[in-house]
Amino acid sequence: MIEVAKLSKSFFVHRKDPGFWGSVRSLVSREKVEKAAVNAVEFNVGEGEIVGLVGANGAGKTTLVKMLAGIVHPTSGDATVLGFRPWERDNRFRRQIALIMGQKAQLWWDLPAEDCFLLLREIYQIPESQFRASLDYLSGVLDVRDQLNIQIRRLSLGERMKMELMASLLHTPRVVFLDEPTIGLDLTAQRAIRDFILDYRVEHRPAMILTSHYMEDIERLCERILIMREGEIVYDGALRDVVERYARTKIVTAHLRKTGENVCADEQLAELGDVLECNEHLVRIKVPRTGVADAAATVLGRFPVADLSIEDEDVGSIVERIMQSKERMP
Amino acid sequence: MIRYLRLYLHFLRFSFSRAFEFRLDFYFRILMDCVYYSVHLAFFAIIFARAGVVGGWTLDQTYIFVCGFLVADAIHMTIFANNLWMLPVFINRGDLDYYLLRPVSSLFFVSVRDFAANSFVNLVIAAGLVAWAIARYPEPLGAVRIAIFAGFILLGAFLTYLSRMLFVIPVFWIHSSRGLEDLYYTIDNLAERPHQIFPRWIRWAILTALPLAFVSSVPSHVLFEGLTIERLAHATAVTLGLFAFVVFAWRRGLSAYSSASS
Repeated sequence: MIEVAKLSKSFFVHRKDPGFWGSVRSLVSREKVEKAAVNAVEFNVGEGEIVGLVGANGAGKTTLVKMLAGIVHPTSGDATVLGFRPWERDNRFRRQIALIMGQKAQLWWDLPAEDCFLLLREIYQIPESQFRASLDYLSGVLDVRDQLNIQIRRLSLGERMKMELMASLLHTPRVVFLDEPTIGLDLTAQRAIRDFILDYRVEHRPAMILTSHYMEDIERLCERILIMREGEIVYDGALRDVVERYARTKIVTAHLRKTGENVCADEQLAELGDVLECNEHLVRIKVPRTGVADAAATVLGRFPVADLSIEDEDVGSIVERIMQSKERMP
Repeated sequence: MIRYLRLYLHFLRFSFSRAFEFRLDFYFRILMDCVYYSVHLAFFAIIFARAGVVGGWTLDQTYIFVCGFLVADAIHMTIFANNLWMLPVFINRGDLDYYLLRPVSSLFFVSVRDFAANSFVNLVIAAGLVAWAIARYPEPLGAVRIAIFAGFILLGAFLTYLSRMLFVIPVFWIHSSRGLEDLYYTIDNLAERPHQIFPRWIRWAILTALPLAFVSSVPSHVLFEGLTIERLAHATAVTLGLFAFVVFAWRRGLSAYSSASS
């Protein structure tokens, strides 16, 4: 449904020397610098797939999404979404996509959401019966039936976001771009939005691209992720493979029996790895993956262990390390 | 076409609902425009107290011209002005994003989305003024000529919108709109005077390149002298040419649109 081939976008920015005289000089001549926001990215997304697009601020995620939604023209490369070039803005294309931006509102601030939805019905030429069915389904799942006739500005941030989601999905798009849909929301609202997205995927099988700085969004919703770094995709694969391929450590946690012994004073403990936590009840050590069996055996042999667990490194930390690393990912 | 009309009806409903919500602002804007109309009429009344004819027109003809200008201005203020004021902000802040996603003409959407309900009341007042000016005209003007005059006033409002767009679209590239806005409002003053009083090159400019003479001066000429084939052809060519150019420039602007980072 989404096919991207060597897609790039560059912006030109002016470089100005600091201070007043720098400003004066820039009136006469200024250096124009080309900044690659997205650099020759390639990937495909299929029907019913939710792909997480992660990267640090300025990595190019939003620019990439906006190119695929037809808002921004690329500098080079090609992409098709549902067989259309997005930036040609064919109405048949625009009727089948949706973009939800957590940081930008599309609804009219002074009007109730339902009025805005009626306008969208007209814009997307949604048949009355389909419109009523969508409205009923979305307002029910998102639990906002009672808020439909309240002005947008009087709603809470979470309720507004739900209305934004409804506005974007009323026409039942086949491709959905979600740009930080849970930003600024409290935990309950975040969970509600995530549950809704999963329900919607089961119900309608759209292709979705999700960008988010919240790893929980990515972990809950996406089986596959694209990691962007400085405009390039440095990882494209299953989320679970990130741990298998890039986790360097594991966490060994031992719950201890009460013996009065001071295990934290044991010199061998520090030799096993980084001691994250140590007290009379519990020892947590971060150990290299290659040495996890030896470390577990040592802990079991030396300390009064009541229970022992071995966990993978947190996926968020691994992704963060990949995003910040300068190395190319294999 | 019917679809766009239905969309426009939604815009109208939204705008009235919103305008009625802020009552004080609603009444204040009406009052403000009434003062503006009075100043315009008083300006020419004072001039005619000292001169019998200006640019070949009597006071009665000038009143029709001035009231015609006020109607065209009110139409522009009602339908387009709010949208055009906000457009540079939308372009620079990346707020065009949602407009570009919709399966309708983005130019239509950004140009007429916000209907100024309070100015609509002023439009009724301005229409009353022009009816008064025509009624006090000493000679009969005829229903056909008055209808053509009304049509030309509508055209004048549309050409004002197109002319204004020429000064907004460059914001896609230059990003700052202040200088262009100031330049437009300086040039726009030319529409408030009969075009025949200007030197030849200015006349040519406001009849062709930036057709501000069509706001009220040309319609008034049509009312007093009748519509000729040449004038109709000229108006058609200017309108189509400018419209095509604005659509072309808008498309070019959209391809340069960089939105805004999140």
